[in-house]
Amino acid sequence: MAFSKNKDLESDQTKYKSLRNKKFFGLVLNRTVVYVILMFLAVITLLPLMWAVAASFTPLNKVFEYTYPFQFKALLPNDFTWEAYQNLFDRGMGNAIKNSLILAFSSVFFGGIISALAGFAFGSFDFKGKNFIFAIVVITFMIPTDIIAIPSYMLVRRLGWLNSYTGLIVPSLAHGMAIFLFTQFFKGFPKELLEAARVDGASWFRIFLSIVLPNSKPVILSASLLLFVGQWGSFFWPLLVAPTPKMQVVQMAVATAQGEYRTLWNELMAGALIAAIIPILIIMPFQRYYIEGISGTGVKG
Amino acid sequence: MKIKQKNLAPYLLLLPALALLLVFRIYPMISTVIESFYTNNLTADAREFVGFANFTRVLSDQIFWKSLKVTFVFNLINIPIQVFLALVVAVILNSRARGISLFRSIVMIPIAVSPVVSTTLWKTMMDYNAGVLNGLLALVGIPRQEFFLVKEQALWSIVIVTAWKGIPYMMIFFLAGLQEIPVAVLEAAKIDGASSWQSFFKITLPLLKRVFAFVLVTDTILNLILFAPIWLITKGGPQLSTNLIMYETYRRGMVYGDLGGSSAMLIVVILIVAIVLGLQFLALRTDD
Repeated sequence: MAFSKNKDLESDQTKYKSLRNKKFFGLVLNRTVVYVILMFLAVITLLPLMWAVAASFTPLNKVFEYTYPFQFKALLPNDFTWEAYQNLFDRGMGNAIKNSLILAFSSVFFGGIISALAGFAFGSFDFKGKNFIFAIVVITFMIPTDIIAIPSYMLVRRLGWLNSYTGLIVPSLAHGMAIFLFTQFFKGFPKELLEAARVDGASWFRIFLSIVLPNSKPVILSASLLLFVGQWGSFFWPLLVAPTPKMQVVQMAVATAQGEYRTLWNELMAGALIAAIIPILIIMPFQRYYIEGISGTGVKG
Repeated sequence: MKIKQKNLAPYLLLLPALALLLVFRIYPMISTVIESFYTNNLTADAREFVGFANFTRVLSDQIFWKSLKVTFVFNLINIPIQVFLALVVAVILNSRARGISLFRSIVMIPIAVSPVVSTTLWKTMMDYNAGVLNGLLALVGIPRQEFFLVKEQALWSIVIVTAWKGIPYMMIFFLAGLQEIPVAVLEAAKIDGASSWQSFFKITLPLLKRVFAFVLVTDTILNLILFAPIWLITKGGPQLSTNLIMYETYRRGMVYGDLGGSSAMLIVVILIVAIVLGLQFLALRTDD
């Protein structure tokens, strides 16, 4: 009897072992598939950027030497030169970068404050007409700005803001999506904290500065990234309201470098990389917080 | 619990944002409606009230209908592809494989890259003569593809161009949603003997409903008004095969100077956006 019991145990063990093996192989297979897909995604994402890096450091006549049929050498600079970058900066790229940075950081700073104040009002207060005013905000972010670009242009022209930072910045300062993010965040902000400060006699503006803002880092970060990427990437609005070379922004520099008949590919790629690398460098360190900011606010009720 | 205030505090807090929105968003919107009833162009100052003439002119224009059709086909292809692939990529990036954070960072790079730049990169990649994509196809013996140069391929090529940035952009919302699902729920399902497919369809997907609605709406808005790739690559061609509606309004208003017609067209676009979003809200209504 003891013997048979042992035997039972043994067969159980083999059964368990084979089950475990099956599971183990399943897991390895799964993991291999996952890594193959991950590598594929990484290659698709990086390939255009790597090629652009190589092309930007290559003289114009050698840019396409190894692309057809594709050789790995195409991803390395061919006859390394700074020529493309030099030409770009000779033609005012430095000025365009300066303009774009000024615009993007002003948008983040002023747009962030304006949106945060509005979000604070929507999220933490009850007041007459709240739903109606919030509906206006929602409508403005459902109607994309490109659609109203022409009447906006007429307005800015009448205000005398053509070819100025004011004309480029002010119309997009109140950002519906950023207001929405702040509103969702402040809905969850502990009211006891606000009321305690209120009882102590602090003004709402003081409370906003000393209690609300210091405790809102994730949403400030998400909204800032949103505002930065939006302003840095805008091209249609600058094309309309600030077409002079002095006011040129990076996106326009890249867009106008693509000639109808002849394109300076190495300079085009250098320009594209300059336009891409600045927001990438600014955003990458905060990538994790960006996701947290969204999951904490953006898509929750 | 909300703070009840009889004073002006919330209105003062709202004042700057509301004033800016009214002046620079609502006013131009109303102005578009008004403009659509007038003849106008950028050079002449004379304006004349013409009633619905702009609308009837636009609505009887073959190019407008062709453009609407192209826009419809494009969105019907592009939105499902982007939303589906965004979800798939999010699920993969949500796995706890080794080095996953590195892959996450890489896949998220295009989000920071502007539409002009991503379009420029892919326009170059898909160049007929020497583009990297044709170079790669040559390695496996496929002849050169014409991509943007023939009407049969141009719209599909735009789909490829927009995917590089569009999919990761939609993906982060799914990833954020996935990370909110408590691990305990999924573990409990596993203990109860649910396979990973079962728990994905029975637990994960239903919990992502809100995110799904948000992504669908956002992707719809972005794609219905797609402009940069058309402006930079095809200019609506060849043979109007990529003449998406936003490019057509731009062409009419800014290239041909017909602001009245362009405004009328924009009103139609706004109505379409509103109808599509309304339908999506109805279909994906959540009860809470």
